[in-house]
Amino acid sequence: MSFVPKTQPFSGKINAVTLGTGDKAIVIGGQNVLPFYTFDAAIEHAPKIGVEISDAANEWTAPGLVEFYAGCSTMADYAKKAETMEGADFIVLNFESADPNGANRSVADCVADAKAVAEAVSMPIVIMGCKNLEKDGELFAKISEALQGKNIVCMSAKQENCKTVGASVALAYGQKVGAETADDINLAKQLNIMLKKDANVPADSIVMNIGTAAVGYGFEYVASTLDRIRLAALAQSDADLQMPIIAPVSTDTWGVKESTASEADEPSWGNQEDRAIGMEVATAAANLTGGADAVIMRHPVAIATIKKFINELV
Amino acid sequence: MALKGLDIFKLSPKKNCKECGSPTCMAFCMKVAQGAVEIDKCPYFSDDAKAMLNEQTAPPMKTISVGEHKLGGETVLFRHEKTLVNKNLYAVCVCTGMDAAAVDAKLADLQKVDYERIGERMYVEFVFVANKQDDPAVYAELVKKAAATGRSLVLQCWDVECAKAALEVCGKDVILDGATPSNWEAMNALATEKGIALGVWAENISDLYDTVKNLEAKGNKNLVLDVTGKTAKETLANAVLVRRTAIKDGDRSFGYPSIVNVAKLAKGDAHLQTAYASMFTEKYASIIVMENMTYAQALPLYGLRQNIYTDPQKPMKVEAKIYPLNGADENSPCALTVDFALTYFLVSGELERSNQPVNLIITDASGMSVLTAWAAGKFSSSTVKKTFEELDIANKIKNRTLIIPGKVAVMKGEIQEKLPEWNVVVGPLEAVQLPKYMKDKEYEAAAAAAAAENAAKAAAGATAEVKELSFEELLETKVPKIEVVDMGVNYKGYNPESKTFVTIGERIHCIAPAIRKAMDERDPKPILERAAQQIAAGATYLDVNIGPAEKDGPERMMWAVKLLQENFNNVPLALDTANKKAIEAGIKVYNRTNGKPIVNSADAGSRISYIDLAAANDAICIALCSADGIAKDNEERMVHCDNMLERGLSLGMSSDDLWFDPLFLVVKGMQDKQMEVLEAIKMFSDKGLKSTGGLSNNSNGAPKDVRPIMDSALVAMCMMQGLTSAIVNPNDRRLMETIKSCDIFKNHVLYSDSYLDL
Repeated sequence: MSFVPKTQPFSGKINAVTLGTGDKAIVIGGQNVLPFYTFDAAIEHAPKIGVEISDAANEWTAPGLVEFYAGCSTMADYAKKAETMEGADFIVLNFESADPNGANRSVADCVADAKAVAEAVSMPIVIMGCKNLEKDGELFAKISEALQGKNIVCMSAKQENCKTVGASVALAYGQKVGAETADDINLAKQLNIMLKKDANVPADSIVMNIGTAAVGYGFEYVASTLDRIRLAALAQSDADLQMPIIAPVSTDTWGVKESTASEADEPSWGNQEDRAIGMEVATAAANLTGGADAVIMRHPVAIATIKKFINELV
Repeated sequence: MALKGLDIFKLSPKKNCKECGSPTCMAFCMKVAQGAVEIDKCPYFSDDAKAMLNEQTAPPMKTISVGEHKLGGETVLFRHEKTLVNKNLYAVCVCTGMDAAAVDAKLADLQKVDYERIGERMYVEFVFVANKQDDPAVYAELVKKAAATGRSLVLQCWDVECAKAALEVCGKDVILDGATPSNWEAMNALATEKGIALGVWAENISDLYDTVKNLEAKGNKNLVLDVTGKTAKETLANAVLVRRTAIKDGDRSFGYPSIVNVAKLAKGDAHLQTAYASMFTEKYASIIVMENMTYAQALPLYGLRQNIYTDPQKPMKVEAKIYPLNGADENSPCALTVDFALTYFLVSGELERSNQPVNLIITDASGMSVLTAWAAGKFSSSTVKKTFEELDIANKIKNRTLIIPGKVAVMKGEIQEKLPEWNVVVGPLEAVQLPKYMKDKEYEAAAAAAAAENAAKAAAGATAEVKELSFEELLETKVPKIEVVDMGVNYKGYNPESKTFVTIGERIHCIAPAIRKAMDERDPKPILERAAQQIAAGATYLDVNIGPAEKDGPERMMWAVKLLQENFNNVPLALDTANKKAIEAGIKVYNRTNGKPIVNSADAGSRISYIDLAAANDAICIALCSADGIAKDNEERMVHCDNMLERGLSLGMSSDDLWFDPLFLVVKGMQDKQMEVLEAIKMFSDKGLKSTGGLSNNSNGAPKDVRPIMDSALVAMCMMQGLTSAIVNPNDRRLMETIKSCDIFKNHVLYSDSYLDL
């Protein structure tokens, strides 16, 4: 009696969501199996990688990043360069400097940057805000308006502002909304319901950010939330959790000690940039293995590695 | 399928001889089912019964021991279903054909990664020694070198002669990764002779399965499966299919740990190996073989492994000690917080962001967050004092500024009293406020004020040693006289013989600021108001939570008990505090007309002695079926239940006076555990035991208008299972009406049209 593997495709399916327009448009989601379980059923759309650039990118010190973006000064310069990165599928604009408790860049400046980027690149664009609810609400609305027709994603709508963000981003300007929760499957479901019911956002205009952490820093919560969301979406066919997931990785991994401690601080740990790449690679791979349909990353070496990882597995 | 304790019990000798070390055969069988003891501990089980049980109780996946390391033994596919048990281990590979210097360098390098992270040693546990030349002498030489590192070995060797030579030069902490479809008989002989685990590899998963079957037929179940395929894709498929077949389909022939060689899958690409290793940490490798292990790989990979293999029901704790941050020394100020790992990471992260030298002092709080630990009495002035003594902090640090979390500002006075030489300062409420707080040195003014206050106290002369007063003296001197006020409600009385459901009103609780204040100031009004409401709503008992009450617990509790009983016709009470002396004092003044006092609560861990307290005072005791954190399943709950029952009975308690609490779990987060709690209640009931618990915990965090609906549905299900009491909010009318209706259906109360009004 020899072994015959049982395949287990599910009846539930992750929504296939298109980002961007034209030749460079991408589709995330669409599968009816757990991540990389190609032995259960073929995976049509491989997971994608977004390259993060930031309006504070001039503060990046990792030699590989500095070298890659040498000569870039505006966000559009960075975006154009990012588009050439091996493994890049979409461009992520992180407007962290808009934070009223930080540099407090004006919405108008950010919109101008976004417009310039949109003119310079043809890859899909994803917008990350500054984590200030009020400012982000305004920022997302204005950028969505300015980039109408580009089919961008605004990360993110939270429980507190999902109605206004959903209405302005998705309803008024036809863009995609990222529903953000923090390792809470019940809230993740609730937020999707609220976006659909209260803000009339179509299901296929929603993607999720279900919570992030660098590996070693409470990643077990992320891992289990991913597992549970995917099982609910696939095994229980829960339509309120079948949205594809975009996981911001770099914003967490570049802030932890393993990435920020200099070689002088931790002589035994070896090259700092290598460690930062390691943290980014491991966190991205762990997210993709758990169920992320796209990851947002920063370093060219880490991105090339994860691209190879995805290509080998799909 | 694993057997249940009760199934084993049926086959047990039922002698209760205690020779196995367990108090009863029942308790022993529960432990056997849990895998906590071997069935051989019982001298009276018949051999037939044992053989049958050994086969049936075998877990779906074997645990393979290699020296001190344990591999496999998993029971679930996803960590949230229960927990993952044995973390994956790492190997670095060397092979014949490498030049000697390169081998030496590699073996030296792999030993450089060796550090501790949250109480766990992080290092490369195995050396993977691959045989590529089929020259026994050459291979043995390499194995000898690898063995000299003191690490366990995986010998990947398909040549029988080479394997023989290798096994002669190494110890027994070895896996012989050598069986293939063609050589398995010879390799099997080698491995069994030496008593070591045998690794099996085949070209495809079907051949792998057949080879395992062959080995099992020869009686060898000490196996490890090398699932490495030609590509990463094939390897993932193998790893998942092997694990899924074992756990989900219950086919034990694939129930063995697995080896994945990512060095082979991504030769020369360290980053890609890191990516693969991350994936195989989540998806089912037991040993991951790397080409090298640098810190750039170890830091993320060991961090991820530690996260993934954390028991979801046991909080991750960091060690209680002084963590000097930003170059802090003995002259830097101190900040205090609890040992919950996430709290530690958050607080230390923010403190590091401040760039100010500070000594972060982590105190033992059973891995709970600040407020939870405070409410449970695990983070108190006494526990802080204990930490300071155990760590000898006063001698290690000269600076006397101690910043405590803003959330426990109420503890400032008590900590100040216990640590008189320190200047205790209340820090910010949230960790994110710390960088600014530290940079602006906001604590300095407060520390100076505390210092001045301490100096003034010292100048006023050391307070005379306070003699500990007896309860009678306390009652005489410290408990205010009770004034009886007409609150317009009368407690109707309660017959303890009655079978009706006992509701314990939860509204007098120190976590409510109004009650905390009223307790502190001995202000009767807010307490009486809440009591009157609950009694009017039909509560049987009232819970009286006076907080941790470290300082004045006894007089507080005596006052509260007298206040409530004298005002409300001796309403029966549950006395709820972490201060045992306070409970004892409360019972001293308690009137039993309407039922015994309830001690709230004992557990099977550090609070087990509350059972002794209840026994000594002829009280009822709530017995929470958990020890450290939530019980992982009902087998564990029942072991706790039996232990506590045994203890109570041995102290002369009636089993009716132990009310077992399964620990109600919140739906938001533990939805998949709800049925288990309900089953536990049935198990209590089947044993003829009473039960209770904080039922409304299930709906914590749900919208206000939804909670009564969830609570009512759950209480009806629980009463069906045999729950006899619950700690509830009696002001929830829907819930109370559901309980009354269920009491009708259970035939505890005779029906009349107006049963709801009674």
